[in-house]
Amino acid sequence: MKTKRKIVIMLTIIMVLSMFQTNVFGSQTEEPDAMRIGVTVEIDSLSPLISYSQIGYEVFMLLYDPLISVDDNLEPVANLAKDWTLNDDQTEWTFNLRDDVKWHDGEPFTSADVVFTYDMLLGNDLGMYSGYLGGIIEVTAPDDYTVIVKTESPKANMLQNSCPILPEHIWKDVNPDDYMTWPNEQPIGTGAFKFSELKQGEYLKLVANDDYFLGRPGIDDLIFVLYANTDTMAQSIKLGEIDAATNFSPSQLDSLQTEAGIEAISAVVLGFTELSFNAWDDPSSKANPLLNDIVVRHAIELSIDKQSILDIVYSGQGSVGTSLIPPEGFYHYEPSADELRDFNIDKANQILEEAGYIDLDGDGIRQDSDGTPLEFIFTLRADNTDEVKAGQMIAGSAAEAGIKLNIETVDDGLLIDKIYSGDFDMFIWGWGTDLDPTTILNVMTTSQIGNMSDSNYSNERYDQLFIEQQTIMDPVERQKVVWEMQQILYEEAPYIILFYDNSLQAVNTAKWTGWKRIPEEGGYFFNLTNYNYLNVQPVSDTAPAEPGSNTALYVIAAVVAVAVVFMFNRRKKAK
Amino acid sequence: MKKQYVFKKVLQSLVTIFFVIIFNYFLFRIMPGNPLAMIMRNPRASAEAIERTKELFGLGQPWYMQFFIYLGNLIQGDLGLSFIHKTPVVEVVWSRIMPTIIMVGLAQILSIVVGILMGVISAWKRGTKVDVIALSFSLITYSVPTFWLGIILIAVFSIGLRLFPTSGMLTPGKTFYDTLNMLKDYASHLFLPVLTLSLVLIGEYALTMRNTLLDVLTEDYMTTAKAKGFDDNYIIKKHAIPNAMLPMITLIAINMGLIIGGTIQIETIFSWPGLGRLMYEALNGRDYPLLQGIFLLITISVILANLIADITYSYLDPRVKS
Repeated sequence: MKTKRKIVIMLTIIMVLSMFQTNVFGSQTEEPDAMRIGVTVEIDSLSPLISYSQIGYEVFMLLYDPLISVDDNLEPVANLAKDWTLNDDQTEWTFNLRDDVKWHDGEPFTSADVVFTYDMLLGNDLGMYSGYLGGIIEVTAPDDYTVIVKTESPKANMLQNSCPILPEHIWKDVNPDDYMTWPNEQPIGTGAFKFSELKQGEYLKLVANDDYFLGRPGIDDLIFVLYANTDTMAQSIKLGEIDAATNFSPSQLDSLQTEAGIEAISAVVLGFTELSFNAWDDPSSKANPLLNDIVVRHAIELSIDKQSILDIVYSGQGSVGTSLIPPEGFYHYEPSADELRDFNIDKANQILEEAGYIDLDGDGIRQDSDGTPLEFIFTLRADNTDEVKAGQMIAGSAAEAGIKLNIETVDDGLLIDKIYSGDFDMFIWGWGTDLDPTTILNVMTTSQIGNMSDSNYSNERYDQLFIEQQTIMDPVERQKVVWEMQQILYEEAPYIILFYDNSLQAVNTAKWTGWKRIPEEGGYFFNLTNYNYLNVQPVSDTAPAEPGSNTALYVIAAVVAVAVVFMFNRRKKAK
Repeated sequence: MKKQYVFKKVLQSLVTIFFVIIFNYFLFRIMPGNPLAMIMRNPRASAEAIERTKELFGLGQPWYMQFFIYLGNLIQGDLGLSFIHKTPVVEVVWSRIMPTIIMVGLAQILSIVVGILMGVISAWKRGTKVDVIALSFSLITYSVPTFWLGIILIAVFSIGLRLFPTSGMLTPGKTFYDTLNMLKDYASHLFLPVLTLSLVLIGEYALTMRNTLLDVLTEDYMTTAKAKGFDDNYIIKKHAIPNAMLPMITLIAINMGLIIGGTIQIETIFSWPGLGRLMYEALNGRDYPLLQGIFLLITISVILANLIADITYSYLDPRVKS
């Protein structure tokens, strides 16, 4: 009995140990050059009709191609369409397509795919891309490699349309009633990378498309690795477990910047963090009606020390905000010195005083002529600790102007619900914007109340200009109109643009070369182009051995062995 | 007699599960937040598209109809469509079950064995150096913040010693040419999460075991046993531990039942693809079907674990049967 057990234990230990011997069967295949990118958000769907995430936009840009994409100067550049013309009254576009493009499954790409994709999106209004097609009334294909797109009136943002072209031969078999749920589990595109696998909660793997019409990428395997927290992600990139990552915190960025072989940057991105007021003057509005007074909104903005908040809460990563469109965009409007409302508590007090808001009962809170105090509910997202801290600082300085902001923190779902039902006073959230200003300008139009609008703002002149700017083909002329729109918004202040955001990214420059920030102050990723994915090359083809993973298992094995021996000895003693 | 007892317990469990199903259903629906907004997330959606979506996810019906449809589907094993993933809940949950059970299960087993052993030694050697060391160890690991402990272990084992990867379940995107290599990779990823969770749990088991054993040791029958001339080992094994095991069985049963729920903190530190994180995502996204699915699973496993504990009791403690 005894010896039998001893033998069993010995055999087990030997088996366990031998398990850790690498290459028992001696087949060492060359490792592909895998680029692993750490991300903090998982792709919500592989179907471009259902996904609404930034990571989705990034991945579809690699799997699929649009007719026109943007180059590393963020200018329109030929992609599936090799060239294009516009007729005299500017309502008919002719796109000449490349004839050498193949889908990942080998089928040829033709104009029928373009017509199918555009018709499908226009007919369904699904997904984040259908908005780009606004104003298109008809899409036809006179031959296999020509597409004619007719628009209602001139369409200023036709060349900024990043809508991916989907394969008709796959999607035609999907019942239109199922578009909302069809998972597109094996996406077939024309893009630089082919889909390999998606492991929910772990990673998404793409592999290089050898036949890509713009040239094969230098990366063999591209893997987006999901991290549930950025502290671990920062350690991972230092250890070489991943080659790049985004979404670091400022303190992590500092420690990454001192690391050899890693380039860590604070990249300018198109987006902002705003304080949004419920500016709805409708009787059914559930907001505090005092917020309809522009003077109150101005006084709150004057009482906010944006630079201090940026420095303290965000370690200075980002820039102080003014108007709706971030300064990197061609359409950004910079308020004049007269218009500008810089941090100035005295002025905040002064304009409130002049408008008749006086603290009569001496409790430190100003009241209007009816005695209603300037007291508002300030909703913050519990998940975003930076925004909560910023909100606390804002509430602190607003009190100095005699305005009381009562902070409540809620989860995203609840805030969305409050916004949709118009039941809020003010909150902090953010937007990411496009190269083209249409989408973000649209947020503030009257027609979006109850929909995309999160301030319930309405201004007739603004709405008029919005329609107008969509149809002005000359960028300089269009810029004038877009400027006027931002001027109106800045004056009426339904939003206080707090900051223009930065994205903190890091890449491994020891293993990979050819990284480029786009634009100059921008990021390596999530910058609206696939430049880096296509152009980055491995430094050398010698794959480094994985450090220590064998030792690790010997340690486990040793622990197991000691434990077994220990148990065994105890048994012997007990007898 | 015993059969009747088991039958009664099973029946009670089934009734509990039924009430929990009803409770869960309404619990999630009185939470604030509009699911439609979270499903669509499309500000440009037309009224027609909104209608279609409502229809598809069963949100167009009155609440009582929605409830009966839910019950009907549940009986057929259909938990509905996840709002976020737009795929069946069963599929979404299934992909996370194994990683959860393996990680949390291993940690539980490890900490139960080590914890009980420590508790017994502590109690027996009460007041000695061994007891002080074991007790301090238990108290420290029991009270240390999980997240902090995880980060420290990463700093030591991943960064300092370079022994184990920081996160994930398998090296992402790696192609494995044989199963052994894959198991090896899996094991090295598993080590740190299991170690962290075990350390956190050991304290609880050790402290409970120590306390109940100390109670038992002061009983009169312990003195009697000593007077009879039995040696210490025999007394501990045959007299003390069996009596001290009853509260432990309860504790173990509760914790075993909760295995399926995963541990959000450990999963977050090590990016482990478990059910805890899935539950958090579902909660934030107002994904009722997914939340219900996960809660149902947790409910069933907790009740099942308790059922097993009840039945085990009836064998361990003759008083329970009557």
